[in-house]
Amino acid sequence: MKSRAHRFKENAAAALANPVLQASMRKAKGKFVDKRAIAIREIDDFEATREAAKQIRNRVIENLDLWLEKFEETATARGATVLWAKDGAEICRHVVDVAKRHGVKKAVKSKSMLSEEAGLNLALTAAGIQPVETDLGEYILQINDNEPPSHIIAPVVHKSLDEVADLFAKTHHTPRKTDIPALTREAREVLREHFLTAEMGISGGNFLIAETGSVALVTNEGNGRMVTTLPKVHVVITGIEKVIPTLEDLATLMRLLPRSATGQSISNYVSVLTGVKRPDEPDGPEHLYFILVDNGRAEVVGSEFQDMLRCIRCGACMNHCPVYQTIGGQAYGWVYPGPMGSVLTPLYTGLENAIDLPHAGTLCNQCGVVCPVKIPLPELLRKLREKQVERHLRPWFERLAFRLWAWVASRPGLYGLGARFAARYLTWLADGKGSIPALGLAPEWTKGRDFPAPEGKTFRELYAEKKQ
Amino acid sequence: MTSRDDILGRVRARLNRNPENAAAGRAAIEATLAMRAQGPCPAIDSQKSALAGRQQAGTPPLLERLVEKSLAYSSTVDRVGTYAEAPAAVARYLAGLNLPLQAVIWPALARLDWAAAGLTVDTRGAEDHDLVGISGCFCAIAETGTLMLVSGPDTPASVSLLPETHIALVPASRIVAGMEEGFALARAELGQLPRAVNFISGPSRTGDIEQTIVLGAHGPYRVHLILLVQE
Amino acid sequence: MRPRIGFAAIELLEAAGCEVIVPASQTCCGQPAWNSGDRAAAAQLAKKVIVEFEGFEYVVAPSGSCADHIKNEYPVILADEPEWCSRAVALGRRVYELTDFLVNVAKLDRVPGSFAGRVTYHDSCTGLRSLGIKAQPRALLARLPGVELQEMSGAEECCGFGGTFSVKFGELSAAIAERKCANACATGAAAIVGGDLGCLLNIEGKLRRMGDHETQVLHIAEVLTAKP
Ligand code: SF4
Repeated sequence: MKSRAHRFKENAAAALANPVLQASMRKAKGKFVDKRAIAIREIDDFEATREAAKQIRNRVIENLDLWLEKFEETATARGATVLWAKDGAEICRHVVDVAKRHGVKKAVKSKSMLSEEAGLNLALTAAGIQPVETDLGEYILQINDNEPPSHIIAPVVHKSLDEVADLFAKTHHTPRKTDIPALTREAREVLREHFLTAEMGISGGNFLIAETGSVALVTNEGNGRMVTTLPKVHVVITGIEKVIPTLEDLATLMRLLPRSATGQSISNYVSVLTGVKRPDEPDGPEHLYFILVDNGRAEVVGSEFQDMLRCIRCGACMNHCPVYQTIGGQAYGWVYPGPMGSVLTPLYTGLENAIDLPHAGTLCNQCGVVCPVKIPLPELLRKLREKQVERHLRPWFERLAFRLWAWVASRPGLYGLGARFAARYLTWLADGKGSIPALGLAPEWTKGRDFPAPEGKTFRELYAEKKQ
Repeated sequence: MTSRDDILGRVRARLNRNPENAAAGRAAIEATLAMRAQGPCPAIDSQKSALAGRQQAGTPPLLERLVEKSLAYSSTVDRVGTYAEAPAAVARYLAGLNLPLQAVIWPALARLDWAAAGLTVDTRGAEDHDLVGISGCFCAIAETGTLMLVSGPDTPASVSLLPETHIALVPASRIVAGMEEGFALARAELGQLPRAVNFISGPSRTGDIEQTIVLGAHGPYRVHLILLVQE
Repeated sequence: MRPRIGFAAIELLEAAGCEVIVPASQTCCGQPAWNSGDRAAAAQLAKKVIVEFEGFEYVVAPSGSCADHIKNEYPVILADEPEWCSRAVALGRRVYELTDFLVNVAKLDRVPGSFAGRVTYHDSCTGLRSLGIKAQPRALLARLPGVELQEMSGAEECCGFGGTFSVKFGELSAAIAERKCANACATGAAAIVGGDLGCLLNIEGKLRRMGDHETQVLHIAEVLTAKP
């Protein structure tokens, strides 16, 4: 997927000006937050479970090369083929190759963010293979001219029922309906036909289990099960960081993932898939491929951003982010939105290509306290800002302003004078009711609000006067 | 250089890999895999039974918790004594919903006398036209109200997936506390994991359109548990 | 900006029996620089603050984010300079946010003010999530018999200020503030109270732009020392 992250400001402005998106985001906001808060209460010791999850993920990342070799060994022993992809283009090449080898004309897909990273649907189409998204949300986006998702768990959270109704009527040539169960039924029927006729299923993978060489797949709709039960070929595309050691670790992580994501105690379907079907088994794929993807991840290993590799893609950070809640996910410009996206996009697509994202958060840490694997997201954002300064990626006037300000702040006399001047100036600008409607020096501030005027003299002046 | 070598090579470089720490790392991996350490497990209790803690398989608190959680996940639950009583319970349930007394069943359940309860059954993997699928379960997980099914020639995965109605027979002795216990049972009884281990908690659902929950997205609309309390 | 807050803080500390000194040379803790990725500027100011304040028994700031910055971030900023780092750690142990200090260290039992009316309290992010400031301001407000605290929904949610965020993404920041203001006003409070000037400026600025010139926006120290 081509990144539009460098246009964050414009994207955000457009999102603010989009009434449908604003209404949808307002509706969605509380649901995720409240449901999670209730669901985590079922865990006796939630903090200890978070800590355990963090340890599980760290254990693997600290020896990632060895765990990958282990996974490759166990998966291969069960009849799977393990392929490696450096980038999105290589993912596409692998999938197209596999499809051609097995005479595939149609591929049904369960949600895979890696396939978004790679722009896989376009590549498949170009190779004459029909990709069909089967997660209801992803399907809606696909029939809307391959619109990008706005959330990693709820891809159409920004869309209204009316938009979906229009889209279904247009695409399926059926009478327009606004009954959500009826729309869901319609999608079920259309997609059931695809499940039954596709030769290949493509899925992401929530976890790769080194002990058994399995992939764990989590869905509510059951499409994950469909694409891994009916077609004769199953291709799993995951990042190299997705390995976990044991089935016990899966059990621990599954106490956190659904609760953090949708506020469920467990997702409706969790499948642990290992190897290919036995000759006497009536269903299941005959061929299983794993594509293990780098696409920027290897460089994060051992770096000061390594904590980010723990991410289990639950979406809690965006659900709790005041910025995400206000503009939705598409404004972030690439596959991953919200705080995790603001860290991942610069890391995976280049610091210089997402200059605004590390700044697109208030560092309020609502994300950090909910993250089930304790990723210190605000700290990582701040470190990215530091990297930008080191690499001279910030505009010159900003750098100059901070230098100048630090210089002044190191000189109390000058600082006091400056503050005194600023206070007088701001008082003079005020509208008589204590507010400043327009600030020349900080025009962004007064775009959407006033600036409260100071009271005249500064604390420093008054304190000095008092002391005398 | 292959992509594999390239990727692993860069990861190794970033981790300062050398022969000594590789050997130590491999030993640590084997130790982790051998130990299979469990994370914190919540106590399993139910509103009906005050006995807390991780219970032995089949004990009443586990059964009650399984029932509570299954209902919370929009499943329905019936209780009978033994396998022999299951076909009649299925027939009652289907008749109550005005569904035809016809189903696709796991080969593993072919030994029951379905005809005596008035049911016509096909013993095979499910097909698109099947309206009702009847399965057993490998075990059931009380903590979350979850069925754990494993695939195999006699237990095809499609039976719990394609039909609109899924009925599962659950022997009480196979109710365990959590996923950990389910996996331990699988290791003990099956050796290696079968192709598909499916954890199922209620009917399939989606909340994609305006976060409104709708049952029956791609899988079953209805999941009905028949608890066999004497099995 | 608001000298009243500084004097109110002094009044409260003195009421708790403390001797208060405001070093004339103090300027800024350097948080804006640090949060913008300018490590050099942040370190320069951190050292200045350490030198100025390490002679005191306690250092109290009427702002959770300043207190947190000195307490928890200085050791990180100065991690590469062991000597400075240990001085930062030593100072950090004695740094407190105002309400936390009043409740847990100075054990202030009578507050000097006499504010009356319904208020709602906005929990500033850094104070809340890094320093655990939640019960302290409420405990202090409870000592004013005339104050009725009505909690707003989402009291712990960010107001959208975010330091430089507010001037980099003005519209976005103001849109977040709008939600905060709506939640606060829904309580029918006469005053929105908080513990961090940044948030207060943001909330007040948004309220006034929305045409609300009635609802007061006050620092907790102002409320606790308000004269009738
Ligand atoms: S960063 Fe944490 S909260 Fe955000 S998606 Fe990843 S795991 Fe979830």
